[in-house]
Amino acid sequence: MPHGIVPLVVNDDILRTHLQELRRGTAVLASLIALRRPDYGYALLQRLAAHGFPVDANTLYPLLRRLEEQGLLTSEWNTAESRPRKFYRTSADGETLLGRLLDDLAAVQTSVAGLIEGVAE
Amino acid sequence: MNTLTDRYLTATLRSVPAQRREEIATELRAAIADMVEDRAGAGQDPATAEREVLTELGPPDRLAARYTDRVLHLIGPTYYLIWWNLLRRLLTYIPALVAVVVGVVEAATGSPAGAIGAGISAGIQTTAQIAFWTTLVFAVLERTRAPLDLPAWTPDQLPAVPVERDLRLTDTCASVAMLVLFGGFLVVQHFSSWFTGGDDRNVPLLDPTLWRSWLPVLLAVLLLGAAFEVVKYRVGRWTWPLFGARLALDLAFALPVVWLLHTERLLNPELVRRVDWLGEDGNLTTLGTVAIAGTAGIILWGLVEAGIKTRRATR
Repeated sequence: MPHGIVPLVVNDDILRTHLQELRRGTAVLASLIALRRPDYGYALLQRLAAHGFPVDANTLYPLLRRLEEQGLLTSEWNTAESRPRKFYRTSADGETLLGRLLDDLAAVQTSVAGLIEGVAE
Repeated sequence: MNTLTDRYLTATLRSVPAQRREEIATELRAAIADMVEDRAGAGQDPATAEREVLTELGPPDRLAARYTDRVLHLIGPTYYLIWWNLLRRLLTYIPALVAVVVGVVEAATGSPAGAIGAGISAGIQTTAQIAFWTTLVFAVLERTRAPLDLPAWTPDQLPAVPVERDLRLTDTCASVAMLVLFGGFLVVQHFSSWFTGGDDRNVPLLDPTLWRSWLPVLLAVLLLGAAFEVVKYRVGRWTWPLFGARLALDLAFALPVVWLLHTERLLNPELVRRVDWLGEDGNLTTLGTVAIAGTAGIILWGLVEAGIKTRRATR
């Protein structure tokens, strides 16, 4: 490679940290949306992953607990199946918070679009 | 039953508050079982699957910390800078102070040989103690999340840009060292001069009776001279007030010395008696005249040099 040419692909580590920063907080958002339909931890994990929100198990379980403690999720034990499972559902408070988060996400997107346009002009 | 999962759950739940333990255990056990089942369903050996799942969940301590919001650092960003600034401030002078005090006490109480070692060891111990206790206090603050109601930062706290110095630190150190050595000589010559009388008794060079009159004054002037050098360095360049102070200090030292030389009261009369050459006719007066001229020359040279530097710096 000739000297002085900037590599086209950004260093993997740098890319990963920036994506991580950008994605931080989306796990809460995604969980609150997904749990409008009640589900237990592992099923939620799989649903989120299928919709492009890969979350580690060791992050998701403590997160669900914290959201429950904050009153944003309600839970119920389902003992009908082979093993007892804790089903979470987005509470009314959680729905309110989710509304605010979605508004903010939309605002960020609008701002980004506006900025891109402004730069292009 | 003592499967890997059991061991993992026990290890995780150890540091989780008791009232939440059972619920978390049931949920985690089900979650692990789900994950293992999922992998086994894809054709993996269950034992391997279990191992992989637990590896993915990571160290039990870390998982437990996530459940309990326990901090995984000793001192976090809230307190770090306060801790560091405080520690730095404490360590800049306290260990050195303790080392000097211990060294001096050790030397004064009869074992001068061990004084330096004792001082250094006390300094190191003090450093370790300060670092340990300060850090401990901040680690506790971090864990109790105690709010420190410190005043908010304002631009007024910015330090001034350092003065551009005409004066070099090495010069200042050399001047101070010279003054200290000279003062030390004045003291030491009383106890062990190079001259011993015929009976092995030490004969001080300077008249011992001067200790009750002029010698303390001269020592004080030398001490002030050392202080002057430090102040001059802090100011950063020669100024006319500094030149005035230098002039006053030089006169305060030179005038008594010249006067003592002139009246032939500086040297120890016993020394004069014992050294034949000094007793010969006129030699003492000649020596005094040469010494007076030398003193005046040195002082004058220093003042002219200081004057030139001051003029250059204040122009």
